[in-house]
Amino acid sequence: MPEKIDIDYVCSLAALRLSEEEKKELAPQLQRIVEWIAQISSLNLTGIKDKELSTVSLATPLRKDVVQGSLSPEEALANAPEKDNELFKVPRVIEGGDSQE
Amino acid sequence: MIFHSALKLAQAVRKREISAEEVINYFLRQIEVKEAGIKAFITVCADQALEQAQALDRRTDLPGLPLAGVPVAIKDNIVTKGIKTTCASRILANFYPPYDATVIKRLKEAGAVIIGKTNLDEFAMGSSTENSAFYPTRNPWNLECVPGGSSGGSAAAVAAGEAPLALGSDTGGSVRQPAAFCGLVGLKPTYGRVSRYGLIAFASSLDQIGPLARSVEDCALLTRVISGHDQHDSTSSPRSVPDYLAELSQPLENIKVGIISGDLLKDVNPEVKEAFYFTVKQLEEEGAQIEELHFSSWAIGLPCYYIIAPSEASSNLARYDGVRYGYRDLSEKQLLSMYQTTRTEGFGAEVKRRIILGTFALSAGYYEAYYGQASKARLLINQEFRQALDKVDFILTPATPEPAFSFGAKADPIAMYLSDIFTVTANLAGVPALTLPVRCSAKGLPIGIQLISDFFQESELFRLAFLVEKKVEFIKEYNKIN
Repeated sequence: MPEKIDIDYVCSLAALRLSEEEKKELAPQLQRIVEWIAQISSLNLTGIKDKELSTVSLATPLRKDVVQGSLSPEEALANAPEKDNELFKVPRVIEGGDSQE
Repeated sequence: MIFHSALKLAQAVRKREISAEEVINYFLRQIEVKEAGIKAFITVCADQALEQAQALDRRTDLPGLPLAGVPVAIKDNIVTKGIKTTCASRILANFYPPYDATVIKRLKEAGAVIIGKTNLDEFAMGSSTENSAFYPTRNPWNLECVPGGSSGGSAAAVAAGEAPLALGSDTGGSVRQPAAFCGLVGLKPTYGRVSRYGLIAFASSLDQIGPLARSVEDCALLTRVISGHDQHDSTSSPRSVPDYLAELSQPLENIKVGIISGDLLKDVNPEVKEAFYFTVKQLEEEGAQIEELHFSSWAIGLPCYYIIAPSEASSNLARYDGVRYGYRDLSEKQLLSMYQTTRTEGFGAEVKRRIILGTFALSAGYYEAYYGQASKARLLINQEFRQALDKVDFILTPATPEPAFSFGAKADPIAMYLSDIFTVTANLAGVPALTLPVRCSAKGLPIGIQLISDFFQESELFRLAFLVEKKVEFIKEYNKIN
Protein backbone atom coordinates (compact mmCIF):
# COMPACT_ATOMS: atom_id res chain seq x y z
CA MET A 1 0.00 0.00 0.00
CA PRO A 2 -0.86 2.51 -1.22
CA GLU A 3 -1.99 0.87 -4.42
CA LYS A 4 -2.73 2.50 -7.74
CA ILE A 5 -6.48 2.44 -8.11
CA ASP A 6 -7.71 1.00 -11.45
CA ILE A 7 -10.68 3.28 -11.91
CA ASP A 8 -12.14 1.52 -14.98
CA TYR A 9 -12.14 -1.86 -13.25
CA VAL A 10 -13.63 -0.50 -10.00
CA CYS A 11 -16.32 1.42 -11.96
CA SER A 12 -17.28 -1.79 -13.75
CA LEU A 13 -17.75 -3.49 -10.36
CA ALA A 14 -19.88 -0.57 -9.14
CA ALA A 15 -22.03 -0.32 -12.32
CA LEU A 16 -20.86 3.22 -13.00
CA ARG A 17 -19.69 4.57 -16.36
CA LEU A 18 -17.67 7.76 -16.06
CA SER A 19 -16.98 10.13 -18.92
CA GLU A 20 -13.32 10.83 -19.78
CA GLU A 21 -13.78 14.26 -18.22
CA GLU A 22 -15.14 12.83 -14.96
CA LYS A 23 -12.34 10.27 -14.86
CA LYS A 24 -9.76 13.01 -15.30
CA GLU A 25 -11.18 14.84 -12.30
CA LEU A 26 -11.93 11.85 -10.07
CA ALA A 27 -8.87 9.65 -10.67
CA PRO A 28 -6.25 11.93 -9.02
CA GLN A 29 -8.66 12.74 -6.14
CA LEU A 30 -9.31 9.06 -5.52
CA GLN A 31 -5.61 8.29 -5.69
CA ARG A 32 -4.92 10.93 -3.01
CA ILE A 33 -7.74 9.64 -0.82
CA VAL A 34 -6.44 6.07 -1.13
CA GLU A 35 -2.96 7.25 -0.13
CA TRP A 36 -4.50 9.11 2.82
CA ILE A 37 -6.58 6.18 4.11
CA ALA A 38 -3.61 3.84 3.62
CA GLN A 39 -2.06 5.36 6.78
CA ILE A 40 -3.98 2.75 8.78
CA SER A 41 -1.68 0.09 7.31
CA SER A 42 1.07 1.32 9.64
CA LEU A 43 -0.91 0.26 12.74
CA ASN A 44 0.09 -2.96 14.40
CA LEU A 45 -3.24 -4.73 14.82
CA THR A 46 -2.09 -8.32 14.66
CA GLY A 47 -3.41 -9.02 18.17
CA ILE A 48 -7.01 -8.34 17.16
CA LYS A 49 -8.96 -11.40 16.07
CA ASP A 50 -11.68 -11.30 13.43
CA LYS A 51 -14.30 -12.72 15.77
CA GLU A 52 -13.90 -9.75 18.11
CA LEU A 53 -14.70 -7.28 15.38
CA SER A 54 -18.26 -6.25 16.21
CA THR A 55 -18.55 -3.19 18.45
CA VAL A 56 -22.20 -3.87 19.22
CA SER A 57 -23.74 -6.99 20.68
CA LEU A 58 -24.93 -9.32 17.98
CA ALA A 59 -27.84 -11.32 19.28
CA THR A 60 -30.55 -12.35 16.84
CA PRO A 61 -33.84 -10.95 18.07
CA LEU A 62 -36.87 -13.05 17.24
CA ARG A 63 -40.50 -12.00 16.98
CA LYS A 64 -43.63 -14.10 17.15
CA ASP A 65 -44.34 -15.99 13.95
CA VAL A 66 -47.49 -14.06 13.12
CA VAL A 67 -48.47 -12.78 9.69
CA GLN A 68 -48.13 -9.00 9.49
CA GLY A 69 -49.26 -6.46 6.94
CA SER A 70 -47.08 -5.53 3.99
CA LEU A 71 -47.30 -3.24 0.98
CA SER A 72 -50.03 -3.85 -1.56
CA PRO A 73 -48.86 -4.48 -5.15
CA GLU A 74 -50.14 -0.98 -6.07
CA GLU A 75 -48.08 0.63 -3.30
CA ALA A 76 -44.99 -1.42 -4.12
CA LEU A 77 -45.23 -0.47 -7.80
CA ALA A 78 -46.20 3.18 -7.30
CA ASN A 79 -42.62 4.46 -7.70
CA ALA A 80 -41.57 2.10 -10.53
CA PRO A 81 -40.12 3.95 -13.52
CA GLU A 82 -41.75 1.35 -15.82
CA LYS A 83 -44.30 -1.32 -14.99
CA ASP A 84 -46.58 -3.77 -16.73
CA ASN A 85 -49.69 -4.82 -14.81
CA GLU A 86 -48.35 -6.05 -11.45
CA LEU A 87 -44.74 -6.38 -12.59
CA PHE A 88 -41.63 -4.21 -12.74
CA LYS A 89 -40.60 -3.81 -16.36
CA VAL A 90 -36.90 -3.96 -17.26
CA PRO A 91 -34.93 -3.99 -20.53
CA ARG A 92 -34.18 -7.45 -21.91
CA VAL A 93 -31.86 -9.53 -19.77
CA ILE A 94 -30.95 -12.33 -22.17
CA GLU A 95 -28.23 -11.31 -24.63
CA GLY A 96 -28.46 -12.03 -28.34
CA GLY A 97 -30.81 -11.09 -31.18
CA ASP A 98 -31.64 -7.44 -31.68
CA SER A 99 -31.82 -5.07 -28.77
CA GLN A 100 -35.58 -4.60 -28.79
CA GLU A 101 -37.33 -4.98 -25.44
CA MET B 1 -43.09 33.03 19.34
CA ILE B 2 -40.17 32.61 16.93
CA PHE B 3 -37.63 31.43 19.47
CA HIS B 4 -40.08 29.92 21.95
CA SER B 5 -38.99 26.49 23.08
CA ALA B 6 -40.80 23.40 21.84
CA LEU B 7 -41.47 22.62 25.49
CA LYS B 8 -43.41 25.91 25.98
CA LEU B 9 -45.24 25.58 22.68
CA ALA B 10 -46.43 22.08 23.54
CA GLN B 11 -47.54 23.24 27.02
CA ALA B 12 -49.52 26.12 25.48
CA VAL B 13 -51.18 23.84 22.92
CA ARG B 14 -52.02 21.26 25.59
CA LYS B 15 -53.70 23.98 27.71
CA ARG B 16 -55.40 25.30 24.56
CA GLU B 17 -53.88 28.75 25.11
CA ILE B 18 -53.03 28.58 21.44
CA SER B 19 -54.25 26.19 18.77
CA ALA B 20 -52.00 23.81 16.84
CA GLU B 21 -53.30 25.50 13.68
CA GLU B 22 -52.14 28.94 14.89
CA VAL B 23 -48.71 27.50 15.72
CA ILE B 24 -48.25 25.85 12.32
CA ASN B 25 -49.50 28.93 10.48
CA TYR B 26 -47.00 31.04 12.36
CA PHE B 27 -44.07 28.80 11.40
CA LEU B 28 -45.26 28.45 7.78
CA ARG B 29 -45.23 32.26 7.62
CA GLN B 30 -41.66 32.28 9.03
CA ILE B 31 -40.65 29.87 6.29
CA GLU B 32 -42.25 32.12 3.66
CA VAL B 33 -40.28 35.10 4.92
CA LYS B 34 -36.94 33.39 5.46
CA GLU B 35 -36.60 30.62 2.89
CA ALA B 36 -35.41 32.85 0.05
CA GLY B 37 -32.27 33.60 2.06
CA ILE B 38 -31.76 30.31 3.90
CA LYS B 39 -33.04 27.55 1.57
CA ALA B 40 -33.23 25.01 4.39
CA PHE B 41 -36.12 23.03 2.90
CA ILE B 42 -36.50 20.80 -0.14
CA THR B 43 -40.22 20.32 0.48
CA VAL B 44 -42.52 22.37 2.73
CA CYS B 45 -45.63 20.30 3.40
CA ALA B 46 -47.98 23.17 4.22
CA ASP B 47 -51.23 21.38 3.32
CA GLN B 48 -50.47 18.14 5.16
CA ALA B 49 -49.15 20.10 8.16
CA LEU B 50 -52.29 22.24 8.35
CA GLU B 51 -54.48 19.15 8.13
CA GLN B 52 -52.44 17.45 10.86
CA ALA B 53 -52.72 20.55 13.08
CA GLN B 54 -56.47 20.88 12.55
CA ALA B 55 -56.94 17.20 13.37
CA LEU B 56 -54.95 17.74 16.58
CA ASP B 57 -57.13 20.68 17.60
CA ARG B 58 -60.19 18.44 17.32
CA ARG B 59 -58.72 15.83 19.66
CA THR B 60 -59.75 15.57 23.30
CA ASP B 61 -56.55 13.88 24.50
CA LEU B 62 -54.11 16.76 23.93
CA PRO B 63 -52.84 16.75 27.55
CA GLY B 64 -51.26 13.34 26.95
CA LEU B 65 -49.19 14.46 23.95
CA PRO B 66 -45.59 15.48 24.77
CA LEU B 67 -45.11 17.36 21.48
CA ALA B 68 -48.68 18.63 21.03
CA GLY B 69 -48.76 20.91 17.99
CA VAL B 70 -44.97 21.29 17.76
CA PRO B 71 -43.73 21.61 14.16
CA VAL B 72 -40.72 19.39 13.41
CA ALA B 73 -38.51 19.66 10.30
CA ILE B 74 -37.26 16.33 8.94
CA LYS B 75 -34.04 15.65 7.07
CA ASP B 76 -34.96 14.47 3.59
CA ASN B 77 -33.31 11.06 4.00
CA ILE B 78 -36.01 9.94 6.48
CA VAL B 79 -39.03 8.50 4.70
CA THR B 80 -42.46 10.12 5.06
CA LYS B 81 -45.52 8.41 3.64
CA GLY B 82 -46.84 10.29 0.62
CA ILE B 83 -44.36 13.16 1.11
CA LYS B 84 -41.53 13.31 -1.43
CA THR B 85 -38.24 12.03 0.04
CA THR B 86 -35.25 12.82 -2.17
CA CYS B 87 -32.02 12.35 -0.18
CA ALA B 88 -31.08 15.55 -2.09
CA SER B 89 -30.25 13.27 -5.03
CA ARG B 90 -31.39 13.27 -8.64
CA ILE B 91 -31.79 9.50 -8.35
CA LEU B 92 -34.64 9.90 -5.80
CA ALA B 93 -35.94 13.28 -7.03
CA ASN B 94 -39.49 11.95 -7.46
CA PHE B 95 -39.65 9.26 -4.79
CA TYR B 96 -42.87 9.17 -2.73
CA PRO B 97 -42.39 6.61 0.07
CA PRO B 98 -45.22 4.16 0.72
CA TYR B 99 -44.56 4.13 4.49
CA ASP B 100 -43.47 6.31 7.43
CA ALA B 101 -40.13 5.80 9.18
CA THR B 102 -40.54 4.65 12.80
CA VAL B 103 -39.37 8.05 14.09
CA ILE B 104 -42.07 9.77 11.99
CA LYS B 105 -44.72 7.42 13.36
CA ARG B 106 -43.54 8.19 16.91
CA LEU B 107 -43.49 11.95 16.29
CA LYS B 108 -47.06 11.86 15.00
CA GLU B 109 -48.18 9.75 17.97
CA ALA B 110 -46.60 12.37 20.26
CA GLY B 111 -48.65 15.14 18.60
CA ALA B 112 -45.84 16.68 16.52
CA VAL B 113 -46.59 18.16 13.11
CA ILE B 114 -44.27 17.41 10.16
CA ILE B 115 -43.66 20.84 8.64
CA GLY B 116 -41.27 19.90 5.83
CA LYS B 117 -38.27 18.01 4.52
CA THR B 118 -34.88 19.61 4.80
CA ASN B 119 -31.85 19.86 2.55
CA LEU B 120 -28.72 17.74 3.01
CA ASP B 121 -25.56 16.68 1.26
CA GLU B 122 -26.65 14.02 -1.26
CA PHE B 123 -27.21 10.74 0.62
CA ALA B 124 -25.82 12.47 3.75
CA MET B 125 -22.32 12.45 2.25
CA GLY B 126 -20.67 15.74 3.10
CA SER B 127 -20.07 18.38 5.76
CA SER B 128 -21.45 21.57 4.23
CA THR B 129 -24.74 20.81 2.37
CA GLU B 130 -22.93 21.96 -0.80
CA ASN B 131 -23.27 18.40 -2.16
CA SER B 132 -27.06 18.68 -2.42
CA ALA B 133 -28.14 17.98 -6.01
CA PHE B 134 -30.59 20.89 -5.73
CA TYR B 135 -28.99 23.92 -4.01
CA PRO B 136 -26.83 24.71 -0.99
CA THR B 137 -28.37 25.87 2.31
CA ARG B 138 -27.08 29.05 3.97
CA ASN B 139 -26.08 29.56 7.60
CA PRO B 140 -28.59 31.84 9.39
CA TRP B 141 -25.73 33.39 11.42
CA ASN B 142 -23.93 34.49 8.26
CA LEU B 143 -25.41 33.85 4.84
CA GLU B 144 -21.93 33.73 3.26
CA CYS B 145 -21.11 30.63 5.32
CA VAL B 146 -22.20 26.99 5.08
CA PRO B 147 -24.56 25.60 7.76
CA GLY B 148 -22.44 22.45 8.01
CA GLY B 149 -23.62 19.04 6.96
CA SER B 150 -24.88 16.73 6.12
CA SER B 151 -27.97 17.76 8.20
CA GLY B 152 -27.41 21.41 7.18
CA GLY B 153 -31.03 22.06 6.21
CA SER B 154 -32.34 20.78 9.55
CA ALA B 155 -29.81 22.87 11.48
CA ALA B 156 -30.45 26.04 9.46
CA ALA B 157 -34.25 25.65 9.81
CA VAL B 158 -34.06 25.50 13.61
CA ALA B 159 -31.45 28.26 13.95
CA ALA B 160 -33.50 30.56 11.69
CA GLY B 161 -36.67 29.93 13.68
CA GLU B 162 -38.41 28.19 10.76
CA ALA B 163 -39.11 25.24 13.07
CA PRO B 164 -38.51 24.75 16.80
CA LEU B 165 -37.14 21.21 16.35
CA ALA B 166 -35.62 19.04 13.65
CA LEU B 167 -34.38 15.54 13.03
CA GLY B 168 -31.11 14.80 11.27
CA SER B 169 -28.99 11.72 10.82
CA ASP B 170 -25.42 11.26 12.02
CA THR B 171 -23.01 8.79 10.40
CA GLY B 172 -19.75 10.63 11.14
CA GLY B 173 -20.92 13.91 12.68
CA SER B 174 -23.80 14.92 10.40
CA VAL B 175 -26.03 16.07 13.28
CA ARG B 176 -23.33 17.44 15.57
CA GLN B 177 -21.19 19.42 13.12
CA PRO B 178 -24.13 21.41 11.62
CA ALA B 179 -25.53 21.87 15.15
CA ALA B 180 -22.18 23.41 16.16
CA PHE B 181 -22.05 25.61 13.04
CA CYS B 182 -25.61 26.87 13.63
CA GLY B 183 -25.54 27.36 17.42
CA LEU B 184 -27.72 24.37 18.32
CA VAL B 185 -27.76 21.39 20.64
CA GLY B 186 -27.37 18.20 18.58
CA LEU B 187 -27.23 14.58 19.71
CA LYS B 188 -25.87 11.42 18.11
CA PRO B 189 -27.58 8.83 20.32
CA THR B 190 -26.01 5.49 21.28
CA TYR B 191 -26.05 3.10 18.29
CA GLY B 192 -29.34 1.22 18.70
CA ARG B 193 -31.11 3.85 20.85
CA VAL B 194 -33.24 5.14 17.94
CA SER B 195 -34.75 2.92 15.24
CA ARG B 196 -33.21 3.32 11.79
CA TYR B 197 -36.30 1.88 10.08
CA GLY B 198 -37.08 4.33 7.29
CA LEU B 199 -33.75 6.11 7.45
CA ILE B 200 -32.34 5.74 3.93
CA ALA B 201 -29.19 3.73 4.54
CA PHE B 202 -25.72 5.24 4.08
CA ALA B 203 -23.42 3.22 6.40
CA SER B 204 -25.63 0.94 8.45
CA SER B 205 -23.18 0.16 11.28
CA LEU B 206 -22.66 3.91 11.91
CA ASP B 207 -25.96 5.64 11.00
CA GLN B 208 -28.14 6.98 13.79
CA ILE B 209 -31.03 9.46 13.69
CA GLY B 210 -30.57 12.41 16.05
CA PRO B 211 -32.38 15.55 17.25
CA LEU B 212 -31.46 19.22 16.74
CA ALA B 213 -32.84 21.90 19.07
CA ARG B 214 -32.00 25.31 20.50
CA SER B 215 -31.92 24.05 24.09
CA VAL B 216 -30.93 20.96 26.05
CA GLU B 217 -34.50 20.65 27.38
CA ASP B 218 -35.98 20.56 23.88
CA CYS B 219 -33.31 18.10 22.75
CA ALA B 220 -34.07 15.82 25.72
CA LEU B 221 -37.82 16.03 25.04
CA LEU B 222 -37.42 15.06 21.37
CA THR B 223 -34.92 12.29 22.11
CA ARG B 224 -37.35 10.57 24.44
CA VAL B 225 -40.12 10.63 21.84
CA ILE B 226 -38.02 9.02 19.08
CA SER B 227 -36.08 6.47 21.19
CA GLY B 228 -36.88 2.85 21.97
CA HIS B 229 -37.04 -0.64 20.57
CA ASP B 230 -38.61 -1.24 17.18
CA GLN B 231 -39.20 -4.69 15.76
CA HIS B 232 -38.48 -3.29 12.29
CA ASP B 233 -34.86 -2.57 13.26
CA SER B 234 -33.11 -5.56 14.79
CA THR B 235 -30.22 -3.35 15.95
CA SER B 236 -32.54 -1.19 18.05
CA SER B 237 -32.10 -1.78 21.77
CA PRO B 238 -34.80 -3.26 24.01
CA ARG B 239 -33.58 -1.11 26.95
CA SER B 240 -36.25 1.11 28.46
CA VAL B 241 -36.12 4.81 27.63
CA PRO B 242 -35.66 7.16 30.59
CA ASP B 243 -37.64 10.40 30.90
CA TYR B 244 -34.64 12.51 29.91
CA LEU B 245 -36.47 15.78 30.54
CA ALA B 246 -37.58 14.86 34.08
CA GLU B 247 -34.09 13.56 34.89
CA LEU B 248 -32.46 16.88 33.93
CA SER B 249 -33.14 18.19 37.43
CA GLN B 250 -31.28 15.31 39.10
CA PRO B 251 -27.88 16.51 40.31
CA LEU B 252 -24.62 15.15 38.94
CA GLU B 253 -22.10 14.48 41.67
CA ASN B 254 -18.33 13.87 41.66
CA ILE B 255 -18.13 14.38 37.93
CA LYS B 256 -14.94 13.29 36.22
CA VAL B 257 -14.38 14.78 32.79
CA GLY B 258 -11.62 13.60 30.50
CA ILE B 259 -10.32 16.12 27.98
CA ILE B 260 -8.44 15.19 24.84
CA SER B 261 -4.74 15.93 24.99
CA GLY B 262 -3.15 19.07 23.54
CA ASP B 263 -1.52 17.34 20.57
CA LEU B 264 -4.97 16.72 19.08
CA LEU B 265 -5.73 20.43 19.36
CA LYS B 266 -2.66 21.72 17.55
CA ASP B 267 -4.42 22.34 14.22
CA VAL B 268 -7.57 23.69 15.83
CA ASN B 269 -8.68 27.30 15.22
CA PRO B 270 -7.55 29.53 18.16
CA GLU B 271 -11.07 30.76 18.96
CA VAL B 272 -12.33 27.17 19.08
CA LYS B 273 -9.46 26.27 21.38
CA GLU B 274 -10.32 29.22 23.64
CA ALA B 275 -13.97 28.15 23.76
CA PHE B 276 -12.86 24.62 24.64
CA TYR B 277 -10.68 25.75 27.58
CA PHE B 278 -13.40 28.22 28.62
CA THR B 279 -15.75 25.22 28.92
CA VAL B 280 -13.13 23.32 30.94
CA LYS B 281 -13.04 26.28 33.34
CA GLN B 282 -16.85 26.32 33.65
CA LEU B 283 -16.82 22.62 34.49
CA GLU B 284 -14.07 23.10 37.09
CA GLU B 285 -16.13 25.87 38.71
CA GLU B 286 -18.95 23.35 39.00
CA GLY B 287 -16.63 21.03 40.87
CA ALA B 288 -15.78 18.66 38.02
CA GLN B 289 -12.49 16.85 38.18
CA ILE B 290 -10.60 17.29 34.89
CA GLU B 291 -8.20 14.69 33.58
CA GLU B 292 -6.22 14.80 30.34
CA LEU B 293 -6.65 11.63 28.27
CA HIS B 294 -4.20 10.23 25.81
CA PHE B 295 -5.97 8.63 22.85
CA SER B 296 -3.44 6.97 20.58
CA SER B 297 -6.19 5.92 18.17
CA TRP B 298 -8.07 9.25 17.81
CA ALA B 299 -6.14 10.44 14.77
CA ILE B 300 -6.77 7.20 12.86
CA GLY B 301 -10.53 7.62 13.32
CA LEU B 302 -10.94 9.60 10.10
CA PRO B 303 -9.02 7.31 7.69
CA CYS B 304 -10.70 4.32 9.39
CA TYR B 305 -14.11 5.97 8.88
CA TYR B 306 -13.32 6.74 5.23
CA ILE B 307 -12.80 3.05 4.59
CA ILE B 308 -15.73 1.64 6.57
CA ALA B 309 -18.40 4.21 5.64
CA PRO B 310 -17.77 4.16 1.85
CA SER B 311 -17.55 0.34 1.92
CA GLU B 312 -20.97 0.08 3.52
CA ALA B 313 -22.28 2.84 1.23
CA SER B 314 -21.10 1.06 -1.90
CA SER B 315 -23.15 -1.95 -0.83
CA ASN B 316 -26.21 0.02 0.38
CA LEU B 317 -26.36 2.18 -2.73
CA ALA B 318 -26.28 -0.85 -5.06
CA ARG B 319 -30.08 -0.86 -4.72
CA TYR B 320 -30.38 2.24 -6.94
CA ASP B 321 -30.62 0.41 -10.24
CA GLY B 322 -33.59 2.15 -11.86
CA VAL B 323 -35.90 -0.84 -11.49
CA ARG B 324 -38.21 -0.53 -8.48
CA TYR B 325 -38.11 3.20 -7.68
CA GLY B 326 -36.15 6.31 -8.45
CA TYR B 327 -34.69 7.66 -11.66
CA ARG B 328 -34.19 5.44 -14.72
CA ASP B 329 -32.51 6.32 -17.99
CA LEU B 330 -35.19 5.26 -20.46
CA SER B 331 -33.00 5.38 -23.56
CA GLU B 332 -30.93 2.27 -22.74
CA LYS B 333 -32.23 -1.01 -24.20
CA GLN B 334 -29.90 -3.44 -22.39
CA LEU B 335 -30.16 -4.17 -18.67
CA LEU B 336 -26.52 -3.61 -17.69
CA SER B 337 -26.25 -0.40 -19.73
CA MET B 338 -29.49 0.79 -18.14
CA TYR B 339 -28.02 0.22 -14.63
CA GLN B 340 -24.80 2.02 -15.54
CA THR B 341 -26.37 5.02 -17.24
CA THR B 342 -29.04 5.37 -14.55
CA ARG B 343 -26.45 5.38 -11.75
CA THR B 344 -23.97 7.58 -13.61
CA GLU B 345 -26.63 10.22 -14.35
CA GLY B 346 -28.43 9.85 -11.01
CA PHE B 347 -25.55 10.19 -8.53
CA GLY B 348 -23.48 13.34 -7.93
CA ALA B 349 -19.68 13.56 -7.76
CA GLU B 350 -19.18 12.95 -4.00
CA VAL B 351 -21.51 9.95 -3.99
CA LYS B 352 -19.63 8.48 -6.95
CA ARG B 353 -16.29 9.11 -5.22
CA ARG B 354 -17.47 7.21 -2.15
CA ILE B 355 -19.04 4.34 -4.09
CA ILE B 356 -15.80 3.90 -6.06
CA LEU B 357 -13.69 4.16 -2.91
CA GLY B 358 -15.84 1.62 -1.06
CA THR B 359 -15.96 -0.77 -4.02
CA PHE B 360 -12.16 -0.56 -4.20
CA ALA B 361 -11.73 -1.19 -0.44
CA LEU B 362 -13.94 -4.30 -0.67
CA SER B 363 -12.53 -5.67 -3.93
CA ALA B 364 -10.56 -8.91 -4.17
CA GLY B 365 -6.91 -8.39 -3.34
CA TYR B 366 -7.53 -5.20 -1.32
CA TYR B 367 -10.21 -6.30 1.16
CA GLU B 368 -7.83 -7.41 3.92
CA ALA B 369 -5.50 -4.42 3.60
CA TYR B 370 -8.29 -1.84 3.67
CA TYR B 371 -11.65 -3.03 5.02
CA GLY B 372 -10.12 -5.76 7.20
CA GLN B 373 -7.51 -3.44 8.67
CA ALA B 374 -10.09 -0.65 9.22
CA SER B 375 -12.41 -3.04 11.05
CA LYS B 376 -9.57 -3.93 13.41
CA ALA B 377 -8.67 -0.27 13.86
CA ARG B 378 -12.30 0.37 14.75
CA LEU B 379 -12.06 -2.17 17.52
CA LEU B 380 -8.92 -0.49 18.83
CA ILE B 381 -10.82 2.83 18.97
CA ASN B 382 -13.68 1.08 20.74
CA GLN B 383 -11.30 -0.44 23.31
CA GLU B 384 -9.68 2.94 23.99
CA PHE B 385 -13.11 4.48 24.57
CA ARG B 386 -14.00 1.70 27.00
CA GLN B 387 -10.76 2.20 28.92
CA ALA B 388 -11.22 5.99 29.02
CA LEU B 389 -14.86 5.75 30.13
CA ASP B 390 -13.84 3.38 32.93
CA LYS B 391 -11.71 6.21 34.32
CA VAL B 392 -13.92 9.23 33.60
CA ASP B 393 -17.68 9.84 33.23
CA PHE B 394 -17.48 12.12 30.20
CA ILE B 395 -15.07 13.07 27.45
CA LEU B 396 -14.92 16.71 26.32
CA THR B 397 -13.64 17.77 22.89
CA PRO B 398 -14.24 20.72 20.55
CA ALA B 399 -17.19 19.96 18.26
CA THR B 400 -15.37 21.04 15.11
CA PRO B 401 -11.83 22.24 14.27
CA GLU B 402 -13.17 25.67 13.21
CA PRO B 403 -16.42 27.67 13.07
CA ALA B 404 -18.57 27.63 9.90
CA PHE B 405 -16.50 28.16 6.73
CA SER B 406 -17.35 29.99 3.50
CA PHE B 407 -18.94 28.38 0.45
CA GLY B 408 -16.32 26.75 -1.76
CA ALA B 409 -13.63 26.88 0.96
CA LYS B 410 -13.23 23.07 1.02
CA ALA B 411 -12.98 22.15 -2.65
CA ASP B 412 -10.42 19.46 -1.78
CA PRO B 413 -12.32 16.36 -0.56
CA ILE B 414 -9.78 15.51 2.17
CA ALA B 415 -9.96 19.07 3.57
CA MET B 416 -13.73 18.62 3.79
CA TYR B 417 -13.36 15.20 5.47
CA LEU B 418 -11.18 16.77 8.19
CA SER B 419 -14.22 18.78 9.41
CA ASP B 420 -15.35 15.61 11.20
CA ILE B 421 -12.12 14.82 13.06
CA PHE B 422 -13.72 15.17 16.52
CA THR B 423 -17.05 13.55 15.68
CA VAL B 424 -16.36 10.32 13.72
CA THR B 425 -14.85 8.43 16.64
CA ALA B 426 -18.17 8.31 18.56
CA ASN B 427 -19.84 6.70 15.53
CA LEU B 428 -17.06 4.14 15.21
CA ALA B 429 -17.26 3.33 18.93
CA GLY B 430 -21.09 3.45 19.04
CA VAL B 431 -21.23 5.73 22.12
CA PRO B 432 -23.55 8.76 22.44
CA ALA B 433 -22.19 12.26 21.81
CA LEU B 434 -23.75 15.70 22.09
CA THR B 435 -22.66 19.09 20.81
CA LEU B 436 -23.58 22.31 22.56
CA PRO B 437 -22.92 25.95 21.57
CA VAL B 438 -20.84 27.84 24.13
CA ARG B 439 -20.03 31.22 22.57
CA CYS B 440 -19.67 33.13 19.31
CA SER B 441 -16.46 33.92 17.43
CA ALA B 442 -15.35 37.53 16.87
CA LYS B 443 -17.12 37.30 13.51
CA GLY B 444 -20.36 36.25 15.21
CA LEU B 445 -20.29 32.55 14.29
CA PRO B 446 -21.28 29.95 16.91
CA ILE B 447 -18.63 27.68 18.42
CA GLY B 448 -19.61 24.35 19.94
CA ILE B 449 -18.11 21.75 22.23
CA GLN B 450 -18.74 18.01 22.23
CA LEU B 451 -19.54 15.81 25.23
CA ILE B 452 -19.26 12.03 24.96
CA SER B 453 -20.47 9.49 27.52
CA ASP B 454 -20.70 5.72 27.88
CA PHE B 455 -23.26 3.57 26.03
CA PHE B 456 -26.91 4.51 26.80
CA GLN B 457 -25.94 7.35 29.16
CA GLU B 458 -27.86 9.99 27.23
CA SER B 459 -29.50 11.10 30.47
CA GLU B 460 -26.13 11.89 32.09
CA LEU B 461 -25.04 13.62 28.89
CA PHE B 462 -28.11 15.87 28.92
CA ARG B 463 -27.60 16.68 32.61
CA LEU B 464 -23.99 17.78 32.09
CA ALA B 465 -24.96 19.74 28.96
CA PHE B 466 -27.78 21.41 30.92
CA LEU B 467 -25.31 22.48 33.56
CA VAL B 468 -22.92 23.99 30.98
CA GLU B 469 -25.83 25.58 29.08
CA LYS B 470 -26.98 27.43 32.20
CA LYS B 471 -23.48 28.79 32.79
CA VAL B 472 -22.70 29.95 29.25
CA GLU B 473 -26.20 31.29 28.39
CA PHE B 474 -25.62 30.96 24.65
CA ILE B 475 -29.35 31.47 23.99
CA LYS B 476 -28.80 35.24 24.46
CA GLU B 477 -26.71 35.24 21.27
CA TYR B 478 -29.92 34.57 19.32
CA ASN B 479 -30.91 38.22 19.90
CA LYS B 480 -28.23 39.07 17.31
CA ILE B 481 -30.01 37.21 14.51
CA ASN B 482 -33.61 37.80 15.53
